[in-house]
Formats: sequence, structure tokens, C-alpha cells
Amino acid sequence: MPDDLALQLERAVAGDRGALARLISVLERGGSASTSLERKLRVRPGSSYTVGITGAPGAGKSTLVSTLLGEILEEPGQQVALLAVDPSSPLSRGALLGDRVRMQAHTASPEVFIRSMASRGHLGGLAMATRSARRLLEHCGWPLTLIETVGVGQVELDVASATDTVVVVLNPGWGDEVQANKAGLMEVADIFVINKADKAGLEATRRDLEGALASLPPARRPQILETIATEGKGAAALWQAIREHRAAITASGELMQRRLAQVRSELRGMVDAVLADRVQRLFAEEEVDARILAISDGRLDMAEAGEQMLALMYDQANDSTMT
Amino acid sequence: MNTAGKRILMAKTGLDGHWRGPTVVAKALRDAGFEVIMIGMARPEEVVQASVDEDVDLVGLNIGGHVDVAVRAIGMVRESRPEVPIFVGGVVPPHAKRKLEALGVEVYPPGSQLPDIVAAARRLTGLA
Amino acid sequence: MSVDNNKDREWKSASGLPLQPFYSERDVPPEHRERMSSDPGATPFQRGAHPGGYRTKPWRIFQLSGFGKPEDENERIRFLLEQGETGFIMEHDRNTGDHCYNVDHPDVVARREDVGLTGAVMQSVRDIDICMKDLPLATSFGHAGGAVVQHAPFALAGYWTVARHRGLDLAKLPGTGQSDFFLTYLGCVTKQQIPTRDGLRFNADIMEFCDKHLPRWVPVSIAGYNGADTGLNAYQELGALFANAVEYLEEIKRRKTMPLENAARACSGVNFRASMDLFEEASKMRAARLMWVQLLERRYGITNPKVANLRIHCVTAGSRMTYQQPLNNIVRGTVMALAAALGGVQSLGVSGYDEALSIPSEHAHQMSVRIQQILQEETNIQSVTDPLGGSYYVEALTAELVERAWGFFEEIQEQGGFLATLDSGWLHERAAENQSEDFRQQESGEQVIIGVTDHQDDISPFEVDGFIGADDAYDVALARLQEVRRTRHEAGAGQALNELERVCRDGRNIMPAMMDALESEVTLGEIGDVYRAVFGDWATPIQT
Repeated sequence: MPDDLALQLERAVAGDRGALARLISVLERGGSASTSLERKLRVRPGSSYTVGITGAPGAGKSTLVSTLLGEILEEPGQQVALLAVDPSSPLSRGALLGDRVRMQAHTASPEVFIRSMASRGHLGGLAMATRSARRLLEHCGWPLTLIETVGVGQVELDVASATDTVVVVLNPGWGDEVQANKAGLMEVADIFVINKADKAGLEATRRDLEGALASLPPARRPQILETIATEGKGAAALWQAIREHRAAITASGELMQRRLAQVRSELRGMVDAVLADRVQRLFAEEEVDARILAISDGRLDMAEAGEQMLALMYDQANDSTMT
Repeated sequence: MNTAGKRILMAKTGLDGHWRGPTVVAKALRDAGFEVIMIGMARPEEVVQASVDEDVDLVGLNIGGHVDVAVRAIGMVRESRPEVPIFVGGVVPPHAKRKLEALGVEVYPPGSQLPDIVAAARRLTGLA
Repeated sequence: MSVDNNKDREWKSASGLPLQPFYSERDVPPEHRERMSSDPGATPFQRGAHPGGYRTKPWRIFQLSGFGKPEDENERIRFLLEQGETGFIMEHDRNTGDHCYNVDHPDVVARREDVGLTGAVMQSVRDIDICMKDLPLATSFGHAGGAVVQHAPFALAGYWTVARHRGLDLAKLPGTGQSDFFLTYLGCVTKQQIPTRDGLRFNADIMEFCDKHLPRWVPVSIAGYNGADTGLNAYQELGALFANAVEYLEEIKRRKTMPLENAARACSGVNFRASMDLFEEASKMRAARLMWVQLLERRYGITNPKVANLRIHCVTAGSRMTYQQPLNNIVRGTVMALAAALGGVQSLGVSGYDEALSIPSEHAHQMSVRIQQILQEETNIQSVTDPLGGSYYVEALTAELVERAWGFFEEIQEQGGFLATLDSGWLHERAAENQSEDFRQQESGEQVIIGVTDHQDDISPFEVDGFIGADDAYDVALARLQEVRRTRHEAGAGQALNELERVCRDGRNIMPAMMDALESEVTLGEIGDVYRAVFGDWATPIQT
């Protein structure tokens, strides 16, 4: 299998989209194949850039992304990948992924790679494999990746730890949402877009937003743009703003800081996930049931049992690395 | 039965805009645990690109018009992803149904019941 | 299976209203009892639009038809008129028409075999002229096509231009278009469509233009049918239809460009679906007339009976026509047509028995006409108006539909109005819920469809193969398009197209410029390109 993975990766690097797509599926499925693939992926500093687009459901993210893709592709030679995340149903674990319907202008373009991802139970607006997929795209030489997050009603903080520039999409009339999410918005947003700017309440929303941002130093205040994505209005300004932001944080060294923070967050997440997986496997062991019984009988204390469990888990881990 | 992670592409080959059938089917497949990627009204080359980029396990085509449009899309999908099964639904008159079945494609005309369609999706994605 | 279970069955109407074993006087609400004593043709019109009913005005036999080349469609329309159809509908090819594409658009080329399958291809006034050859425009109620909003101005202007070329006075021309929001934004959402707000503008423009120049024309026809056949139940269809009418009326009120009463009159020719629940559907037509009176009086203070008298075109439910054992659909068509006639509609189309297989064959079309003729001539149904009036059951049902429909209407207002429910997908969700529920009930056996859920057979004694249409529509259309481009007065066409774009941008009424564009042989696809540049694309709500 690892040989096959290496071959697929080679093909994906050479531009084979089918191979790239299959490798993303490997990452999505997780497990040992995914780990083997991860071992082959290295960050290539300075070779790529990631833009996150987040906002509540119905804000018009997909339509905005579609018009943004149009702007990006105006530049000759530009290539762009999009990871569009939608929620999985918690009951059935199935998902309806409809973002491509909005992207129809670009769905047959060789310069665009679009992948719909189901969140598969992962919270925070991204799928478990979104970050890995982004790294894979970078490894394969895709210079620009857009990540469209799940919209779940409030700002998703995960996106900031996975992308370099974060665009938050709002609509007119969302003053209450701005107030309720003030802290989160200020933490993550690099650019605000008030989409559907032809709807009533534009000025009030802009005022609320400006009010919420007033405490930031002027240099750090995000731009507020207005778009009507269904008509393509404002997309050029958005692309311009993204490029300006990229230039600014690159020049100031902030991009470097962000990347370090991204890696820290991702590493932490990976260790968390491994530990969680081990804990789950641990509790599937029969020996655990014996200890549970012992505790409930009064034969064993909780603290001692806890230490024994940790010891057991380390034994398990050692066993698995031996094999 | 574990359908987790199985991915189905749903496309309409025609421009007729009838979304009722495909949407109800897509929801039933979602509720059965599939990840359903909807691309709406798509040209054959768009169906092909989506089936490649999305690495789907099954392609569902809703056809609403002339059977030859579907035949062309099926041919193109098979060329780039020969291993992926295809099933078809929609207004498929008997003469068109015969033509599609001769190509080895399963056809679900109006009146097909959702459990049968879900069962077909399971079977075609190797789950049953 | 259900017959065995009748004991435990929950008896309810198709829209879910619980039904009693029988009805008595006490089941009719008091305020409705008073209305029962009104006469047909008088306010509040629930008993009928005309005092003489079908004695003085038989319902119009009005079949949707069209396929292939314009001459194929012309031939089919003339066939239907010979068979006894009393109006005609000129359906344009929907791939090209609904999207305002010429046949050489990449999205059409990719599906070239589909061209002409759903209507005749009409890309310029020359094509429309062929389709209208020898049709009795002055005496017959014609439907110009243009069911989808962005297509309507082109289809109407084309029809009117040809009529003018034939020396007819537009001020006397009868007919309709449709320009229906339910079809455009709910039932059959196209790949590309102008946003709802611009669609509203188009429809108001058409209403204004007809008010000035075509007083006998029904400018728009709100088609609840397309909502119902997408999943809305009887009272939702009613509530949503009047919520749609309110959007039109409010737009005209804002504009102050025509008397509101004229606008209300322009909206008073509507389209409902008749489905299989015989009494509920008949009651729905009665409820609709009553609701129109109530809406105009309560909301706009309009009581003029000429305006408040709703006229209904009804089409039998295409979605109830089955693929399996298709000849059974002749019976279904008959029952649904009967529901419409008992409800007192002015105009009726019966879906072809091969509806679930293809567009109607000539035989299926003839059958649809025959069903109506048999009902009109052999059943004595035309002699007495509102034959169900006074039935405790039907009156109670009418009253309950009215009440629930106003409830749904209010829900729509709470969502921000009809357009908002289309933009957000709220209305699509309501329709989809019912669709899923129907499927569930068919699985559980609560809903029986003969030949589909019960009494299926493999021997298929009723084999119908589906109509194939014309196979040269695309090639001929392409040749004609090139011919138009080669032979028209290019500078004039360019000028007219530029003017159309200016009008689209600056907000003046689009119709005068559209008339000039058609006269100058501007083509459908060129007009669509202007729309796409000026208005962009409606963001179809996607259900997840």
C-alpha cells in the first residue's frame, strides 16, 4: 500500500487530478494509510497561500467564492483549489454537499480543483481532514487554496488556525449577530464582506461593525467591503483586499507568526486526536470492565485505577509501535 | 450497515430544472448515510470533472430529455472513471430505458420507491 | 392492502385535513353559512364566477402543446383546434427559452438532442411567425408562451409583433402569457435566471405595458399549479398564490404608474392545479374565489366586482400521472378534470396520459381534449352552476381551506413575503417536506397509487413507448439563427439591443425596447446576454 501511495502522490504532484482526489479520500478515511501519506507531506515554505471564507448559513459564501474564483482566474496562469466543507448529519452521518451548484462557471475549468468535504462529526467549521488536504494541495504545487467553512450560525474559530487570510461574510440587517459574536469576529476576521449589499439594513450593519472594531488600532482594523455576489459586484475589490492583506502580513512578519500558530494548533489537534483514539481503544479492553467492577465493589480506588489505566495505555502504545 | 464515507455524485444532464425527484432521492441517500455531492444541471464534461475531483463511488444521473444526451455523459464518465458504477433516474420512456439498460446502467423511472433506490446505491458501492 | 386496513385508517384529505365520517349543518362555521346563500356570479363569488355558469360560458379547452420546429408546433396546435380545443398554448423550447440561450450556446450544444423536446425553438420573430401561421389570433385566446419570468418579455413581444404585422389591433388582442414565479423560482429552476427582484420588475413592466396598450390581454398568470406540483398542498397553494399576488400589487402601488384596481384586475386570471382528492380540489377553487374577494377588500379596499371576480385556469396534476400502466392516467385525468369543473373553473388543460414518459403524443393530446368534451357534452355537468354548493362537507372543507390558507399566507409574510421565501428556500423546504412525506406514505401503505404501490404487474398490458418528437429541431434552428444573423439589418439590431441594455440598467419599462428589439430581429440569446450582464444570476437556494 505505501508504494501505491507513493505512486499516487507522484502522479498528483505531476498534475493528475484523479490521483490527488483519491489521496484526499485517503486522508478523509484516516487510519494507517492516512498516516503513511502524512509522513510524505512536507511544508514548502513560501510556496502557497490559504484563504478562509466563513459566515453563517445563507450569507452567500458559495456564491461569493464562485465570483472570487472568477476574479482570481482573470490572472493568466493562476491556479486555485477550493475545499468546501458542509456539515454531516449527526444521525445518519450522511451529508448533502451542494457547493458545486454555485460554482458552475468553474466546475469544468482545468485551473480549478474543487473538493466538497463533509465535516464527518468534526466541529469548528472544518472537516477533520481539511488541514491535511490543504497540506497535500501545497505539496502538489497548488499555489492558492480557498477553504469555505461550514456555516453554523456563528463565527467558526477553527478557520483562523488553518488559513492565512480570513474573510468573514455577513449580510445587511445582522446587527444583533455582530453584537453577539463581537469577540469572535474581532479575533478571526481579516476582511469583512457585507454580501447582499442591495438589501435593507446595509448602513446599520456597517455602523455596528465599525463600532465593534473601534477598539482595535487603526492599522489592525479589518477592511469592510460590500458585495452583491449574485451579480458579481465587489468580487474584484475582495480579491484586491485579499492580495493587500497577504502583502501586508508578509511584509510585517505576521504571516510567519500565523504559520507557527497554525502548525502549533494542528500538531496539538493531531496529538489530541491520537490520544482520544487511544483512550477509546483502551476503554474497549475487557480489563477495563474488571476495574470498573472493582471500583463499584469498593475493592479499588479511583486514583489507583486511573494510574493503572494510563500504564495500560502506554503498554498498548508500545505494543502497537513494535508491530 | 456502514455507509460512512461512501460518496455519490448526483447530476442532472438536462436543462429542464425539475429538482423535485433528484432532491428527494439525494435526501434519502443522505439519510442512509451517504455523502451526496450535488452539482445541479451539468454538461457531460462537468459531470466527468466532478466525478474525478470528488473521487465518488457512484454516479447518479437524473435525465429529463433525450436519451442520447445521457448516453454521451455516461460514455464520457466511463472513459475517465471506468470503475465507477452509474445509475439513472428521471423521465425515461421505455425505449430510452431499454437503450440505457443495454449499456449496463440501472434505470429508476418515475414511481420507483426510495428504499429500492437506496438499496441499489448500497449494492453498487459494494456495501451489500 | 389499505382496503383491509380501513378500520384503522386515519381518514384525512390530501392536504392532511382530518375528515369526519359525515358532515352536518353544525360542521359549517356560522360566518360561512351566511356566504352559502349568495348566488354564483355575485360577491363573494365562492359559488362561481358567472351567474350563468357553463350555460353561458363553457370552460375553455386549453392544452399545453409544443415540440420540435415552429412548423411542427403550428401543426399540432392546428390539430388541437380542429379537435375542438378552444384556445391554444404556444410552448417555446425550454432549454433555449427558459434560459434565453440561442441554440449555439455551449450549454445548449452540449444537449443538442434535447432541443425541441419541450417546445418549439423560437429565437427570433421569424420563428414565432412560422409558429403562428394561420392561427385565429383575433378570435382565439392565445397563450404566447414565456412561462418563465426572464423569457416572458421576449415571448410576449414576439407574439404581439407578429400580430401587428398581420394588421391586428393590439388593443383588441385577447390572450395571455404566464411569467410565473412558481415555475421560475420553485418548480423548474433554470440553470441561470434573473434574480427575483428583477423578475418582479419585469412582471410589473408587463402589467403597465398591457394596461396602456393591450387592455384585453391577461399580462401575468400566477400559477399555483407549479407550486402544487412541486409539493405544496391545497391550502399552501392558495396561501402562496395570494402572497405572490400581493408582491405584484405592492410593486404597482409603489410605482403609482397605473390604477391599483387595474393591477388587481391584471392579477385576477390565475392558474391552479387539480389533483386527485376530488372534493378538496373542487373546494379549493371555491375557496380561491372567496379569498381573492377578501384580500382585495381587506388589504386594498377594492370591492369592484369586475376586479374581485377571480378567473381560474386549471391544469390536472402532471405529477399524479404514473409511468406504470399509463392508460390508467386517462381515468386520473378525468377525475381531476371533474374536480376542476365542479369547482367552476373557466379554463382547463388535462395532462397527457403519457406525461410521466414524455411530452404528449398526438394521441395523448387528443385524449386530453376528448376527456373534456365528454365531460362537457355527455355528463350534463354544464347545466347547473356550483352543483356542490350547500353540501355540508364541501362547504366545511371550503371554509377550512380558506382559514388554513390565510394561515400559510401569514407565515409567508412573517418570512418577509413571497419573494423572500423563494430567495431563502423556505418555500422549497415546505414543498420538499410534503414530497418526502408522500414517499413515506407510499412506502408505509397509507397512500395507494394503483399500478405503482399496489396492483403492479410485469405483463404491462398498457404499453406506451413515449413520444419522441422531431429530430431535426436543432439543425434547423441553427441554420435559421445563422440566416437571421446574415440577413437582418445589423445596425438596426445593434441599436435596438443597446437601447434594451440601457433600459435594463436605468429601470425604465422594458417592454417598448423589447418590442423594438423583436421588430429589429434581435435574437433570444442576445437578449439573454444583456440580462446576464445587467442582472447577474439568481442564487438558487440549495437544500441540505
